[in-house]
Amino acid sequence: MNASSYDLRAANTARSRTSVRVGALGAVMAGFILAASPAHADRIEKHFSVQSKPKITVRNSNGRIQVKAWTRNEVLVAWTNASGKSVVETEEAGNRVEVSTRMSEDGVSADDSKTDFEITVPVESELSVRTDSGNVTVDSVHGDMTFDTVGANLQLSDVDGYMVVKTIDGSLVCTRCSGKLEANSISGNVQMIQPTLDSLRVQTSSGNIFFDGSFLSRGIYIMKNFSGTIEVHFASSDSFDVNATSLKGDVINQATFKPDTHGSSHPASKWGHSLSGTMNEGHAKVELSSFSGTIKILKRD
Amino acid sequence: MNMQCEQFEQILEQQDDGALPKPALAHLEACAACRALSADFGAIHDMALELGAEVIAPPERVWVSLRNQLETEGLIRDPQAAPRSATQASQGWWAVFQRPAVAGAFLGLVLAAASTVGYWSNFAQSSAHYAQLAPQQDTSSVPSADSVFKEEVLTVGSDSIPGLQRQDTAVTDSIRRNLQIVDNFIAICEKSVREQPDNQMAREYLYGAYQQKAELLAAATSRSLTGGLQ
Repeated sequence: MNASSYDLRAANTARSRTSVRVGALGAVMAGFILAASPAHADRIEKHFSVQSKPKITVRNSNGRIQVKAWTRNEVLVAWTNASGKSVVETEEAGNRVEVSTRMSEDGVSADDSKTDFEITVPVESELSVRTDSGNVTVDSVHGDMTFDTVGANLQLSDVDGYMVVKTIDGSLVCTRCSGKLEANSISGNVQMIQPTLDSLRVQTSSGNIFFDGSFLSRGIYIMKNFSGTIEVHFASSDSFDVNATSLKGDVINQATFKPDTHGSSHPASKWGHSLSGTMNEGHAKVELSSFSGTIKILKRD
Repeated sequence: MNMQCEQFEQILEQQDDGALPKPALAHLEACAACRALSADFGAIHDMALELGAEVIAPPERVWVSLRNQLETEGLIRDPQAAPRSATQASQGWWAVFQRPAVAGAFLGLVLAAASTVGYWSNFAQSSAHYAQLAPQQDTSSVPSADSVFKEEVLTVGSDSIPGLQRQDTAVTDSIRRNLQIVDNFIAICEKSVREQPDNQMAREYLYGAYQQKAELLAAATSRSLTGGLQ
């Protein structure tokens, strides 16, 4: 263990001392409280001194993971495991911090394995999170990030960087995300709210895709699913080329497009429904594709 | 001195294009297993070129090590041997993933083979070349890439993942449920491709569904070997 790391156990015993003061009844009640809250349910913290742009890796099979940013060159990892059957291991090497959980014994139930993390990192940090279930939230971190989940839902807010997300049926909500985003899911929904992304590649099989933001000049936006709805909201000032095709579903369009003026010809597909054209100067490129889902290109209110 | 299979494999791996050296050709003529190996490389190479994509390069020695290990462990069938039951087949497939050394190579095969099978409508064109390269393929005990993929991977259903031993039923349920979703998409896409063979988009979706299945199985594998995250 690194010398700079140290443990802080929030002492439940302090609570019992307070209880003693209020008399015998209070003491008895405090005893009940302590019995119901085993020592291993304590919040445990570890601090790691890092330089700028550290890489933080988190592996946790089950439980909530909250990551937020601060201005210190320090990583704070705090966790709770109510059952005490989960062992958290940490490692610090150079500018890299790794956090992982493992079970202390075989046959631990999902409930007992649940370990919740609160992690605070420098604003400019690289993140790698791997989890099965339990929500993941990341707030105001700037740096490259990868997320690999089974059913965990992911919420990214005010993040900036190159983000790669892989889920099986977890959803992704990306609010005010900047940079580049690649998201791949089988049945998870993907929502991008007020994004300022200059590169977007989203693919989900049965999930819905929702995009409500600006298409940046020179940006490339690719959204693809098998079934489900793809809904894109645009402003009349947006400038983009669009090519939308649904093989077995509908394409609903509220925009007035002119023919693509950039030399790319998009002949109407003889299969399914398709639409192509240019909005204003067509600075950005938008490709929407579905096998049997509905594609909606809607004006923002 | 006659060339040995191992030497031939090294030459094959290093050979980008063009004719093989004479000793290698002589060995190829005499060795059915190496002919089949060469044919697999050739078929993948040809299909990649037909697609106008970059050449799909299987991981180094993947075919060789895969073949040897699968044969040693009895996980691939000799065509002349009695067919296994569906359950045996799926257990055999999944057993591959219980051996980490093999798992990586197998997943490499899966992804390469997914690319191959994904463009199966182009397969007719290359099959002539394939047959030309491997005139005695039928007598070889080495299965082709696409046959391994079809028989050993596509047959894995949502109810046949014996290795997936997790305490977290939500995770196992999620994986099974999504495997069903992907299998359903594969069936729908295959139907579309059969009905509309020149529908490029349907073919792309079929390829995507195969790839997604391979990735899903890989994700399931990495979470099942020890009952937790790897």
